[in-house]
Amino acid sequence: MSFEELPHTADVKIRAHAPTLETLFSEALRALMQVMYGDDREGGILREVDIEAPDDEELLADFLSEILFISEVDGLVFAGADIRIHGTTLHAVLDGELFDRVRHAGGSEVKGISYSGLSITRDTNGYMLDIIFDV
Amino acid sequence: MIEGVKRISNIEWEVPVGYIPDMRVPGRFFLSESLGNMLEPGALQQLANVATMPGIIRHSLAMPDIHWGYGFPIGGVAAFSLESGVISPGGVGFDINCGVRLITTPLSLKDVSGRRDLIDQLFNAVPTGVGAKSAKKLPARALEEMMVKGARWAVENGFGLPRDLVRCEESGCMKGASISTVSDKARQRGIPQGGTLGSGNHFLEVQVVSEIFDPVAAKAFGIREGQVCCMIHCGSRGLGHQVCTDHLKLLEAATKKYQIKLPDRQLACAPLTSPEGKDYFSAMAAAANYAWANRQMITHETRRVLSKMFRIAYEDMPLVYDVAHNVAKFEDHVVDGKSMRVCVHRKGATRAFGPGSADIPPELSTIGQPVIIPGSMGTSSYVLRGTATAMEKTFGSTCHGAGRVMSRSQAKKKMTGKEVTENLLKQGIIVRAPHDNAIADEAPDVYKPSDEVVGVVHEAGISRLVARLTPVGVIKG
Repeated sequence: MSFEELPHTADVKIRAHAPTLETLFSEALRALMQVMYGDDREGGILREVDIEAPDDEELLADFLSEILFISEVDGLVFAGADIRIHGTTLHAVLDGELFDRVRHAGGSEVKGISYSGLSITRDTNGYMLDIIFDV
Repeated sequence: MIEGVKRISNIEWEVPVGYIPDMRVPGRFFLSESLGNMLEPGALQQLANVATMPGIIRHSLAMPDIHWGYGFPIGGVAAFSLESGVISPGGVGFDINCGVRLITTPLSLKDVSGRRDLIDQLFNAVPTGVGAKSAKKLPARALEEMMVKGARWAVENGFGLPRDLVRCEESGCMKGASISTVSDKARQRGIPQGGTLGSGNHFLEVQVVSEIFDPVAAKAFGIREGQVCCMIHCGSRGLGHQVCTDHLKLLEAATKKYQIKLPDRQLACAPLTSPEGKDYFSAMAAAANYAWANRQMITHETRRVLSKMFRIAYEDMPLVYDVAHNVAKFEDHVVDGKSMRVCVHRKGATRAFGPGSADIPPELSTIGQPVIIPGSMGTSSYVLRGTATAMEKTFGSTCHGAGRVMSRSQAKKKMTGKEVTENLLKQGIIVRAPHDNAIADEAPDVYKPSDEVVGVVHEAGISRLVARLTPVGVIKG
C-alpha cells in the first residue's frame, strides 16, 4: 500500500496502489488527510459512514466528499479507516482526533474531489488509483 | 505552441473542430509566445472538451491565464443557448463566486510602510487558513438571508455602506437564488464560516498604487498614484464547495437521463430548461450570494482595523469594484448580429463589460466596468477596464489572475515558507499566514508573471490597463 503525489500545477494529483479495493480507498483517505492536515494525525474518535453509488469511482468520490464534510463540520482529522465494500455499498469506521490548530494547520484546504482524471484500474498487484483534489 | 493549434494573430490561437472528436465549435485562446511555452496539453484538451457540450455558442474560450484544471480549464469561458444549451458545475468550479474586490484608502505608502502591526491586526481580525471559524455566531435565519440577499444582507446588518452594493458585479446579489436547493450539509458548513478568508490562493493584501496607465479611467474609479488600497480574494467557502459536490452528483445522473455524451465526467451537466439544470443554477446563485456577503464582511473588518489604527473615516475607504471569478450567469450578448440572452460560464475568468453595458455603475458607463486582477504574493496586481472588444470576442470576459506554473509540492521543494517570507521582506513586503507551508505554496515564482498575462489581455483589447498596484503586506489563508 502506498500513495504518491504526481505533478499537477493547480491542484493535487495523487496516485495510490493497494492490493484490494478497501485498502485503496483507505489510502485515498490517508492521502486526503495528509494534504489537508499533514502527517501528525492520531486516532481515538470513531465515526461510521455509509455510502452507496453506482460505480467504484463515484463510490470513492462520494466517500471522500463525505469525509470533507465531516472533517469540516465536526472539526475532525482522521488517521485511518476500516472499510468494507460490498458491490455498490461502502461501510467505513473512521478513526481520528479533534483538529489541533498547532499540529494540523500546515496543509491545504481541499475544496472538492474532482471526477476529472479519476480512475481506478486493476494491475498485477491489485488496484491503482489516480485522483485530483481541488485545493 | 502545441501541434494542431492554428495561429489567428500573434496572441490569438484557435483549436480547430476535429482536434478531439465531437467538437461543436472551435476553441479560441489568448496567449503570448512566451506564455505558450508554459501551456500544458491537458489545458488544451479541456478547452476542446468544453467545445463538445450541447448548445455552446461560437467558441470555447480561454484567457491567457489558462491552465490545467478539472472540467473546464482554469481561465475558461463558454456561453450556452438558453434553448439548446446546458449548465455545468464543471464550468464554475467548487469555489462558487471565488472573486476579488478592491477598496481605496486616503493613506499613502509612508503611512503603512514597514507597519507589521497593521498586518498583525488584519491577521487577528480576519480568520484565515484551514479549520478557521468565524467569531460571529450566525443564526440559521441569517444564513438564509445571506444566500438570498448577498452583499445587501451584510450592508443591512452593519457590515458596509449602501454605496458598496452598486460597486459589485450583479450589485452583490444574483437573482434566482433558491435556498430550497441548498442542502442541510451546505448550510452546516456555511454557518461557522461567514467572514472567513479560507486558504490556498486566498488573501487579504495591502497595496500601493504604483503606476497609472489611464488617468481618466483611474480618476473615475477613484484611484490615484501613491494611494494605499486593500485587495480581498476569497469565495463561498465550505458552503459553495458542498453545493458543487451535491449538484455534481445530481447532474451526473442528469447527464445519463438526457443522454448527453461528454468526454469528462467533471463536465456533468443538464439542459438549462431542465429541473436539474434550474436547481443547480438556483443553488449556485445562493452560494454566489453567500460569497458576496462573505467578502463584504471581510471588507468591514478591514475598514475597522484601518479606521482605528490610522484614525480615518470608515466612509473614506470606498469599494472600487467586486468581481466574480467562478460563476454561470444569464447575460445579454450580441450573437450573429442579434442581441440574445445566453448562459455564460466563467471558470477562473473575470467579467469585463465595456462602456455602455448594462449592469455597470451609471457613473462608469462611459469608461467600462472596473476589472480587478490579483497578482501573486510578491508581484503587481492590476486594475483594468472592460471594453467593446471583450463584448465582441469573449462574451465580455478577461483573465482572472496570473495562473500557476508550478505544483504545490514542487514549490515546497524549491523554497521554504521562511525563505519566501525573508525574500519578500527584503522587497518591503510583510507576509503573515497561519503556517509557513501556506507561504511556500504561494511563492511568487509558482505563478506566471502577472504583468505578462495582463499585457496579453491589454494587447488583445479584451480589457485595458488602468493602474498597477504593488504589495506592501499580505495575509494568506
